[in-house]
Amino acid sequence: MLNLEYMWGLLPVLLRYLPLTLQMATIAMIFALILACLLAVVRVSKVPVLNGFSLLFISFFRGTPLLVQLFLFYYGLPQLISSLIAITGVTAAVLGLTLHFSAYMAESIRAAIVGIDRSQTEAALSIGMTQSQLMRRIILPQATRVATPTLMNYFIDMIKATSLAFTLGVTELMGATQKEAAGSFLYLEAFLLVALIYWAVVEVLSWGQRRLEIYLNKAYQR
Amino acid sequence: MLLSRKLNISLAALSLSVASGLFAAAAQADTLRVGMSGGYFPFTFVEQDELKGFEVDVMNAVGEITGDDIEFVTASFSGLAGMLESGRIDTIANQITITPEREAKYVFTSPYVYDGAQVVVKAGNDTIQGVEDLSGKSVAVNLGSNYEQLLREQPNADEIDIRTYESNIEQDVALGRVEAFVMDRVSATQVIKEKNLPLELAGQPFSTIENALPFRDDEAGREQRDRVGAALSELRDNGELREISEKWFDTDITQP
Repeated sequence: MLNLEYMWGLLPVLLRYLPLTLQMATIAMIFALILACLLAVVRVSKVPVLNGFSLLFISFFRGTPLLVQLFLFYYGLPQLISSLIAITGVTAAVLGLTLHFSAYMAESIRAAIVGIDRSQTEAALSIGMTQSQLMRRIILPQATRVATPTLMNYFIDMIKATSLAFTLGVTELMGATQKEAAGSFLYLEAFLLVALIYWAVVEVLSWGQRRLEIYLNKAYQR
Repeated sequence: MLLSRKLNISLAALSLSVASGLFAAAAQADTLRVGMSGGYFPFTFVEQDELKGFEVDVMNAVGEITGDDIEFVTASFSGLAGMLESGRIDTIANQITITPEREAKYVFTSPYVYDGAQVVVKAGNDTIQGVEDLSGKSVAVNLGSNYEQLLREQPNADEIDIRTYESNIEQDVALGRVEAFVMDRVSATQVIKEKNLPLELAGQPFSTIENALPFRDDEAGREQRDRVGAALSELRDNGELREISEKWFDTDITQP
């Protein structure tokens, strides 16, 4: 049977690692959003040279596993450029999550931009808006609403992907669980507990997402 | 251009905000950074957030003699070699077996643990009595460990279904998902005894294993190797190594 006493004792220990997990995911999400917006705008406006770079970037970071990218940055590159050794495991994990997820998010932001009705663009241009005004004032605000559910999906995915950071020596929620399970051999209890913690976090986020969507939909309420 | 500048800014901001020195493993003259998985009972494991085990005790005893601050760094076993190679840790204390491939790459101290590779099966499974009975069976080994290599050197290697795991091989054999796992005899015995899993040793160990501490093969690494190696011999001579072994294993695993 489940050793509930063990799970109860383990809970405060594991919760100590939750802030690091959330910090890594949140910071990576902020940078990934910025990068993804840039990539998406470059792709949509077909900015010369940069467009080619965006295509290559998205192709690489979508086309290779996150774990491979983390190993490449953290273990591989310092063998070529020795000063990169100064990058800590946390930084490397956040950087890896940022680059990897920005590639995916760029595509869903691009889809949201392209999906805005052409009449919006025509109307904006007809009253003399410049391309960048059009983007900032008309297209991006509307695209934000469309992209929000999928971007939240990526954020949730990102929180769970932080568990890979233990391969870089960062003891986050999952790493702490693995080590505790190795000490107690109560795998079911330890992994069930960590699953419940991740689940609870994601549930809180989903609640936040619903609130956000209600807010973004205000203008569309009849 | 813009993108790369963004990245630079983000990098700088990151190292300021998150890292905050917690995981900054900056090399210092008198700090020995020791990597381990934290997931290999009873050599290195965690209980209530406290890192424990045979390896932890040995390295702390080494530090007492050399005067080095011992800084333990835990990471998935598959990440440890990369950490050593990229200079993020100085050595690995995780029952690293001396092999010709590893000797070509690293410098080792003299062995501080002698052991054998052991086949372990679910209790009651008497179809497997040793490595020769593994033909046609599924066998779990840890990813990056040398047991896979040892299995591949067996005459019946082609008929063994070797499965590499990141962790939890004991659990999968106990569940019956694979038929056997291979691990060193000492920790296998310990796992069965202390953790009450339905497992048993199958026959005798099939290969001698010598475990030692690897260091990078450069000037600094060799210097550390000599310093730590000398401390290990001192611990062997004054009986402390034996005491640590008996504390964890009830037997002396540090003698051939």
